[in-house]
Amino acid sequence: MGVAGIIPSEIALIFVVLVGLFAALRVAFEKNTLRKLPYLNVLSFAVAAAIALLIRHPLALLAAVAFFVGSTLESNAIASTYAGGRDKDD
Amino acid sequence: MLDVIARILAASLVSWLLFITIDVLFKLPEKGGVSGAAAIGQAIEKDGGALHGGYMMGNIVCSPDASAGTLLAACGVYIAGIPGGLAAALLVYIGNRICYDPGYAGTTGAVLATFVIFGFTRIGFGAEEFIAGMVLAILTIQGLSHLGASRLLATLWGWRA
Repeated sequence: MGVAGIIPSEIALIFVVLVGLFAALRVAFEKNTLRKLPYLNVLSFAVAAAIALLIRHPLALLAAVAFFVGSTLESNAIASTYAGGRDKDD
Repeated sequence: MLDVIARILAASLVSWLLFITIDVLFKLPEKGGVSGAAAIGQAIEKDGGALHGGYMMGNIVCSPDASAGTLLAACGVYIAGIPGGLAAALLVYIGNRICYDPGYAGTTGAVLATFVIFGFTRIGFGAEEFIAGMVLAILTIQGLSHLGASRLLATLWGWRA
């Protein structure tokens, strides 16, 4: 397909993939684990967005949310572990 | 092709304003909602950033906030229109509870974003442009400069507090 035939969702996907690759590199090169997590957050946004853009199906929405919430919960757990566990009042 | 790129950039600006406004109104910069969010804020402050901006960035990492709500609502509207966006809002609500989040920024963001994005689809925007726009918007906060972003967010929080 030539450039003239490119459709908006493909242009959107190109943006998403570039942001995802950039975030992945920043995760890889950041030394401080807690400071990796915001970059990982950007990567999760990009992956969830790519799932929806690539698969336009109701179940893909569920997959994108499930991936995103799962990734967020993992970051939450990693950060809370570094902070010394759960708050006393939890 | 250039018109699509221009709309993605415009959608990014709209998404940015939407999620920052909701997150600041819901007091995300006030404190870390969970201990991990506070730890991320303190790590950013230790390296020269602003504490309250760091707290908000930590909160964005640790639970789906209005930015995640906007992204997932955009995905929902792209896939199934307004019902898709509202379904995404429900899933974000469940996600917030899974992540021990006491707040409603994510759910509110998803519901509002559903109607904002649907409105923009009436005037020539595509929901896919909001998906890419929101990814660019979160990049500016979480992915470019933690120190710069935390200072900007702290300034906005200063206006709110």
